[in-house]
Amino acid sequence: MAEFSAEPFLKIIAGLSGGRKKASQSASRCYWHLLNSIESSNPPLDKAEALELQAAETAMPYEDVVPALTELKGMGIQLSIASSLSATAVRLFLERNRLTELFSAVWTRNNSGGVKAAPLKAACAGVSLKPEQAIFLTDTLEGLNTARAVGVHPVLMMNDPDEAKRLAMHDPAGGIVSLHELPDFLRLISAQNALRRAT
Amino acid sequence: MKSVSIYRPASVDEAVQILSKHGREAGVYAGGTDLLIRLKNRLEQAPTYLVDIKKIDGLRYIKEDGQGGVAIGTATKLAEIADSDLLKKKYPMLVEAFNMISSPELRNASTLGGDLLQEVWCQYLRGGYSCWRNGGYICYGAIGDNSYYHSAMGGRLCYAVYPGDAATALIPYDARVKLATPSGPKELSVEQLVPGDMLVDGRIQSHVVRYNEILTEVVIPPPQPNARASFEKLRPRGVWDFAMASLAIVLQVRDNTIEDARVVFGGIAGKPLRETAVENFLRGKVLAADLRSQAVSIALANAAPLKYNATKIDMAKGLLASGLTKLSA
Repeated sequence: MAEFSAEPFLKIIAGLSGGRKKASQSASRCYWHLLNSIESSNPPLDKAEALELQAAETAMPYEDVVPALTELKGMGIQLSIASSLSATAVRLFLERNRLTELFSAVWTRNNSGGVKAAPLKAACAGVSLKPEQAIFLTDTLEGLNTARAVGVHPVLMMNDPDEAKRLAMHDPAGGIVSLHELPDFLRLISAQNALRRAT
Repeated sequence: MKSVSIYRPASVDEAVQILSKHGREAGVYAGGTDLLIRLKNRLEQAPTYLVDIKKIDGLRYIKEDGQGGVAIGTATKLAEIADSDLLKKKYPMLVEAFNMISSPELRNASTLGGDLLQEVWCQYLRGGYSCWRNGGYICYGAIGDNSYYHSAMGGRLCYAVYPGDAATALIPYDARVKLATPSGPKELSVEQLVPGDMLVDGRIQSHVVRYNEILTEVVIPPPQPNARASFEKLRPRGVWDFAMASLAIVLQVRDNTIEDARVVFGGIAGKPLRETAVENFLRGKVLAADLRSQAVSIALANAAPLKYNATKIDMAKGLLASGLTKLSA
């Protein structure tokens, strides 16, 4: 949804690992690296949360986010947030960017009881959806794998064509270039499902 | 190639009934130069039931319509349009454009309706990739080799360019099309017919024709007096190929002042792209060579090229410059 700076996540990783981890320049990669650390060792996150807040403070939503989410809401689609960030960081990000009203539910590592798959599962359960009825937008291999582990259809955000070409080899359920395309994606699936039911 | 059943209806009404009966499993078969290749390419969307309309009377003609315009049946071969003396006299740019479509052999087989409604020629689709138009949910052209067959003006799920030249050349003349549908005849402008990637009957396609509708006629209004027109096309191979970029331009000029303008680009977007900013700029201007640099600077301001196809925009702008130069000579 947004461009996060890699720096706060790098600092969190360095803090958790005593500075031994190799830095990656991509915020997405850093973020998933951090989630792996949290998932494997469940470290204390007091200091991490301050840095997460710093990341949420400076994160800028991509220009296509608000128009696409507004259109989805107008189509009667219920929108939930599923994030591995803390509840405070997510709330700060939503409030700063005036996105709160677009979402009917917010699932974080605090109220879902974990990271990665946990918020995703909680978001599906929260709106009584089976995982196979949901899609998960991601631009990382870790995201693809997490979605698949839960049974949710992973859809590639193809922001960077070279990275998307690499990730397309990992058999995503689909891919979109911009969030602008998400409403049409859902309309197409809905029309195809209606045709399947009719035949 | 999958096995298919062929119907040979005697009338358009019967054809519409057959199409309605089989739903998306059926497709209209006329020239076959697109349809049969879709079958050979084993595309998921290729039909199982072919409704052959070649023998239906009254779909293959070029005639004056009584108001000074021309009506063309959609089963008319492209070669017949390219050779038509009536069209040469009334709409020379159209004939020029049709002579640049594909090769002489294919023009002898392809029909006007088929050219207007042809499937995109993206190498990933035709190569059997599971993309948006072939049962999947991803555009490989957006992330792969997009130098030839993909849009430099953004996309809507599928990023393939609309490949037809006929629509690009017909839109500046404000041409319209007639369709036979289960609920009676329907009429649209050519611009409305091919608005780019549309969700129709659960599919992505470049046109708005539903599975049980048949394109029957193209009607071109009477030519405007003082009209000057030009068609330009750049192709990877000069002998025959799809457009890397093309341009159809019609100017109405009185006392060397442009009274009205139509500027349509082909080969660069998911639809024939009418460039209204340039049209508005040209209206009221004196037709002179110095117009072109300003027109070119205004054109295609919303370009959104993919990784390998920014050159399409340069080509399109170059065509605009050469078209205006030609018309101001």
